[in-house]
Amino acid sequence: MPPQSRSTPDLHDSATPGTDAGTHHPGLIVAVFVVASCGLAYELIAGALASYLLGESVLRFSTIIGTYLFAMGVGSHLSKYVDEKALLARFIDIELMVGLLGGLSACALFLIYAWAGSPFRVSLYALVLLIGVLVGMEIPLVMRLLHQRKQAFEALVSRVLTFDYLGALAVSLLFPLVFAPLLGLARTAVVFGLLNAGIGLWLTHRYRAELPQARALKLRGLLVLAVLLAALAWAQKLTDAAEAGLYGDSVVHRETTPFQRIVLTRWQDDTRLYLNGNLQFSTRDEHRYHEALVHPALAALPQARRVLVLGGGDGLAVREVLKYPQVERVTLVELDPAMTRLFRDTDDLAALNAHALRDPRVTTVNADAAQWLETAEGPGWDLIVADFPDPSHYALGKLYAVPMYRLMARHLAPGGLIVVQSTSPWYAPRAYWCVDATLREAGLHTAPYHASVPSFGDWGFLIAAREAGYRPPSALPAGLRHLDARTVAQMFDFPPDMRAPAVEPNRLNTQMLVHYFEEDWSRQMR
Amino acid sequence: MKRRDFIAGTGALAALPWLAGCTPAAPLVTVLRPGLREGHALREAAALPPPSGELRCGVAILGSGVAGLTAAWRLAREGRRDVLLVDGPEPDGNAAGSMLGGIACPRGAHYLPLPDPGLVHVRELLADLGVLTGGLRDDAPEYDEQALVHPAAERTLAGNTWHEGLLPTSTAADAAAAARFNADMAAWSARRGGDGRPAFALPLAASSGDPTLRALDRQTFARWLEEAGHTHPPLRHYIDYAMRDDYGARPDAVSAWAGLHYFCCRRGRARNAEAGAVMTWPQGLSALTAGLRRVAAVRTLSGHAVALSERRSTVEVMVQTADHRTVTLVADRVICAMPLHVARHIDPALADALPRTALPETAPWLVANLLLDGFPHERPGADLAWDNVVLGGQGLGYVVATHQLTRVARPAATVFTAYRAGWGDAGEARRWLASASEAELLEFALADLDAAYDHRWHNRLRRAELVLRGHGMAIPAPGFLDAPARALRDRGGRVLHAHADLGGLSLFEEASWWGERAARQLLG
Repeated sequence: MPPQSRSTPDLHDSATPGTDAGTHHPGLIVAVFVVASCGLAYELIAGALASYLLGESVLRFSTIIGTYLFAMGVGSHLSKYVDEKALLARFIDIELMVGLLGGLSACALFLIYAWAGSPFRVSLYALVLLIGVLVGMEIPLVMRLLHQRKQAFEALVSRVLTFDYLGALAVSLLFPLVFAPLLGLARTAVVFGLLNAGIGLWLTHRYRAELPQARALKLRGLLVLAVLLAALAWAQKLTDAAEAGLYGDSVVHRETTPFQRIVLTRWQDDTRLYLNGNLQFSTRDEHRYHEALVHPALAALPQARRVLVLGGGDGLAVREVLKYPQVERVTLVELDPAMTRLFRDTDDLAALNAHALRDPRVTTVNADAAQWLETAEGPGWDLIVADFPDPSHYALGKLYAVPMYRLMARHLAPGGLIVVQSTSPWYAPRAYWCVDATLREAGLHTAPYHASVPSFGDWGFLIAAREAGYRPPSALPAGLRHLDARTVAQMFDFPPDMRAPAVEPNRLNTQMLVHYFEEDWSRQMR
Repeated sequence: MKRRDFIAGTGALAALPWLAGCTPAAPLVTVLRPGLREGHALREAAALPPPSGELRCGVAILGSGVAGLTAAWRLAREGRRDVLLVDGPEPDGNAAGSMLGGIACPRGAHYLPLPDPGLVHVRELLADLGVLTGGLRDDAPEYDEQALVHPAAERTLAGNTWHEGLLPTSTAADAAAAARFNADMAAWSARRGGDGRPAFALPLAASSGDPTLRALDRQTFARWLEEAGHTHPPLRHYIDYAMRDDYGARPDAVSAWAGLHYFCCRRGRARNAEAGAVMTWPQGLSALTAGLRRVAAVRTLSGHAVALSERRSTVEVMVQTADHRTVTLVADRVICAMPLHVARHIDPALADALPRTALPETAPWLVANLLLDGFPHERPGADLAWDNVVLGGQGLGYVVATHQLTRVARPAATVFTAYRAGWGDAGEARRWLASASEAELLEFALADLDAAYDHRWHNRLRRAELVLRGHGMAIPAPGFLDAPARALRDRGGRVLHAHADLGGLSLFEEASWWGERAARQLLG
């Protein structure tokens, strides 16, 4: 970019002879080098930031560069209106302004993106335009300054452009290789801002004799320097906070697998798992969800030896299952190997499920649970835990249809139970009771219950059995945080404003559940 | 993504243009031409090795398409155990299925509409296969929901957007034309002839014989549509698609009676599905042929009949076995369940009664199974459905073999089955199929998918199985109701014929009915 990025200097009246450029004014030539470096750096930072935050890298980079070059042209043009007598003072002012604006550009954009959202594009291009105009004025002004100082035209042009290009080269290499990886975009911008401000201050000092308002300039320079130094100290915290603003909390793990996007966030003692942007659990209250999912069924099955968990690669349901010493075998069927690997092999995440996935009683199968169940053989299961994603579209709705429940029932041991996570009976009452109707349509007896999980709201579950006569357990394993015999009994009570509406069962060819789910939740989102 | 990763990412981005220049590995293409070699050998009366053995049976069924298998099922159901099924050159005929990359897919017809109460044999057959699960004699029985098409069932690409459903209704004009057409068809569907029978029914034989209705068979469907004022272009695109799909020809080559029959013959209902619902299986109708084979448990000979001759009390059938031996099959009775243009080379009685020119023209048919590792990127509009049709497109759209599966996530691989029929003159089309190169055939088969997706979908294509049938289906041209083949229906004697060609429409219900009829005749 550098060769093209510099506008042709404004060269009126170029006949004045003089000595070799730079011999007497090395400061101005150093300024050219620094100014060139900084000018390119802001351009790269804006482009990188835009493609980082907005995507479409090629488009972002080229529109940012285009805007920047155009602005520089405008700057070059404007430079001719700068009064010949105040040339140096204005140049110093411009250095200070570029330093301030450019230096804070990345921090400002991060903050705008994280907290303001929509005006981000406008702010981005406005900032690029502004910095571009200022940077565009720099080189013409330096040329005019040197020209005032009786530099020979040929030497002047060649020397200025040489240092201009050298500065650009230095930054184009250092930015991606050193600055960005080492300092991050925000602090890199501040560092270049400091360079601009430094040049301003240094020139003020060097030419103080020629400058009528040297003191005021120096003060301004020091102020800019102070602001930038403060920004340098706080830049990392600022951008971390901005990123956290995007995800709510700071992101501790991100991974895109062939199946989904896994994001883990942490804030203080709260770890959250998002799959494709949907919250799966928060460690603040996941115990409520998983205790409610497992114990009302499993505590009622003192004879249970074999437990099947469908979905739930985070191992949190398995952790609850393993609280029963009589359980001899737990099979977890989870589609995404990245999930089970993450929650088995990453120590702090495995700690969340008490290292359940490394327990010798646990077998992990990475397969599509529906497909696996179609071909599974062997003795029946005492408990089948169906922890599938919510029925938000037709493909997922099939996991909650009559044939799937008949299939599960075929895999039950005598006296066995099925427990199904079945969305919120408060927010999506027709969807919840549709799952109930579907289980009954499949010939099963059901026991509906619900628990309060603050992250999700009032959440519903269904226990289903081939035989009637399920009774909530009166005794629970030790060490539960949410459930005791009293709360378990209460979960099966639905107050009058949560009574079952009339609904149809969910069939593969009608998919009523998906319709109910969509309508109920969209009513909530109004 | 960390900033560090981002920087590395921009480096990788710079390399993209070169990467994009690499073309994906060409898909592995298989071209199948079922029955071609055997059929042409028959036509040319190729010499056979002398018979190396003799087999005896009570009933020989020659051909294992829907007609032959329905006959086998009926005979088994009535306790006949002396039946031998000669598979024919293409087991399961137009209802064949395939397996590509471990994914079951159709190699022919892929759906069945809900049968009318009048189609007792189809209902009984479905009940025996566990598809009809209750209320066999009811107006609206219960069907296995696994087989009923799951939503989203159909969508159409019109302009640049996918719309739900097959009949275009996205603009007010489209909707008005569609409503008018539907109302017209509903009226025709309810209409009865002077003999009290429905104007259009399945099997065809159950339709009214009223001469005023039969007069519709003397004009083309295109002409009838013009006269009835059904001229709205998007509606006509849809009708054109429907005719090519079922009859292998455009409305200007199809009898108006047959055209109306397509829209008006089906009144089947289900307790657990909407009117107009259809049943499908990942492997297409081979789910039913496989079921019939299982339930009938019939002894099967792999090979095909090449000649038959009636003796005083038996029929002798020369069979060329799959391992190229010739066997003499001696049967008391024979059900000849093969297309008529093949049967006339085998049954000498037919050769005289039925000159080649007296047979209906047949349409070539191309079925392409395309194994994809992942689903192509969709354009805006309705989501991928089971059946996906390009309005005004060259082909007949494509169906998704994995649509009926229940899965937590989209399967990593799938098969799209693309269909083509009813292009150009049947004879020329057949010659083109015979001479086209593999690359030409592939391009031809992919026309609709290329219209539906941008070229990158090719990156997902791993294998292609192209099934070419030169004589895929009889075209019900004007006059087809009085075709000379009707004379065969009551041929009598020891050899009975059973094939959809006897009625003139290549439909499961029709083929099955002729099989049922032959078995009933044989059982007395």
